[in-house]
Amino acid sequence: MKQNLFVRRNNERWGIFVSHCASKKMDLPADFAKQYRQICNDLAIARTRQYSPSLVEKLNRLVRLGQSRLYQGEGIKFRTLISLFQQTFMTSLHENRFFLWAAFASFWGLAVISYTWVVVDPTSVHYFLDLGSIKSIEAMYDPAGSVQSDSRAVSSDVLMFGVYIYNNIGIAFQMFAGGALLCIGALLPLLFNSFYFGAVSAHIVNSGYQDPFFSFVITHGSFELTAIIIAGAAGGKIGYSLLNPGKFARSQAIRLAGKSVLPLIVGAFLMLILAAIIEAFWSPLAIPSFFKYITGVICWGYLLTHLYKGTRYGHY
Amino acid sequence: MNYQGLDNQSFYKLPEGVSISLISAGITVRSCAYLYDFIIRSVIVVLFAFALKIFGESGTGMSLIVYFCVSWGYYIFFEAKDGRTPGKKKYNLRVVQDNGLPANLQSIIIRNLLRPADSFPFAYALGIVTMACGKEFKRIGDWCAGTMVIHENNIAYEEVSSENHVSNPNIILSTEEQKVVIAFAERSSKLSPARQVELANILSDKLQVADDAANEKLKQMAQFYVGQEI
Repeated sequence: MKQNLFVRRNNERWGIFVSHCASKKMDLPADFAKQYRQICNDLAIARTRQYSPSLVEKLNRLVRLGQSRLYQGEGIKFRTLISLFQQTFMTSLHENRFFLWAAFASFWGLAVISYTWVVVDPTSVHYFLDLGSIKSIEAMYDPAGSVQSDSRAVSSDVLMFGVYIYNNIGIAFQMFAGGALLCIGALLPLLFNSFYFGAVSAHIVNSGYQDPFFSFVITHGSFELTAIIIAGAAGGKIGYSLLNPGKFARSQAIRLAGKSVLPLIVGAFLMLILAAIIEAFWSPLAIPSFFKYITGVICWGYLLTHLYKGTRYGHY
Repeated sequence: MNYQGLDNQSFYKLPEGVSISLISAGITVRSCAYLYDFIIRSVIVVLFAFALKIFGESGTGMSLIVYFCVSWGYYIFFEAKDGRTPGKKKYNLRVVQDNGLPANLQSIIIRNLLRPADSFPFAYALGIVTMACGKEFKRIGDWCAGTMVIHENNIAYEEVSSENHVSNPNIILSTEEQKVVIAFAERSSKLSPARQVELANILSDKLQVADDAANEKLKQMAQFYVGQEI
């Protein structure tokens, strides 16, 4: 069959197919898949019969069009994210348990080391922090200061909320991405933050401000620190898949790793949003620190049991 | 299928039993799309920063949130919607999965969260190096998510058809050679008349005519090969 005859016989069908693809309606005709397969068949025929490049190209475009209509994505909905998190987070914890345990151990291990160091030798804090930041940290948790009092206005709560969202989630995402650089970009910030955190808390204890400090950090710290650890572990897994791809090609290994850690980074994102809300609006409240310790303990207990169950069994 | 052309076509087998061709987008056009998106993002952020200024301190907090959402969410939002940000739309690019199917939300999130790795140490240097290493121009995020960026609207040529009767050119050509002649006729609408004549003149010895006549003759041959309207 000559090309022009082929085009004339099928042109009408192709036109109908294009109009189906272009229509915005969600429901397609029942035989849309059949029409699509017919177009695929036309493309195969056009190739084997050596029809002209432009016709092959046109049919190729029709197939692509039908493909994108038939297999279209679900778009972005916050609910999709939540359900992704709910369905796969625990399984993903279990899949990546070794990375999580390693990140958890290295974070808290280094924090304890730097904490002990500074508690034993209070002047050693000057190795890690310059005088300016020491002064500002002391001012923040000075019981006579304004952080946890009624004098702090709502507007500065909102300001701090923005800062926490922008800063903390940005750090978590950057650690996730940095992990792809052979783990280095995830490990360095994780270890730096843990060391810094240990040194600062030890210095606060040395200065005798431990009550305002711990009552401030305990609640949001549960979500924030755990989320940072999870993000670091997720990034580390991606980098590790490049270093040690096992039986897969590196291109395949990194893809599998990405798929497996996605729920983790989504979970870390949700946890950091929660942490930012708590840190901006709950932690600075001027209430007796007893209540804050109670909520803090509840949050830590909740998180740690879930983390344990998730990494151990993969479900609640 | 082994295809060795000047363009970047690569072929992907579909479950429907046919392979489709995709043309992956290179570094330059993707940089252009990136810059376009960058300008849009900057404008949004600056506008919000000015508008939220009236709320004072809490306005600063809100504009930080806007900055966060725009810098991380802009790409995820648009690419999850239909695989193209405004910049990609302008340059006719689209993010698809490795097999040509529309990218799903999961791969979009991964490919965009890994942007900092690609922009290490500055200006997407590592991403550009990674892209240059493969035929499909994948950056690290694309490798990890299993996606690629393709040219969406491949150039459409006019189809050759005519009501006039064309006689047999009496030149024996192989199928491949016939396809080249047809491709010339189809592309001719994109070429200047002088260029058409220049190209046709390459064959003037074989066709035994030159200049405009050779051009006409080639087009008639193309019409004969694709089959005439009866």
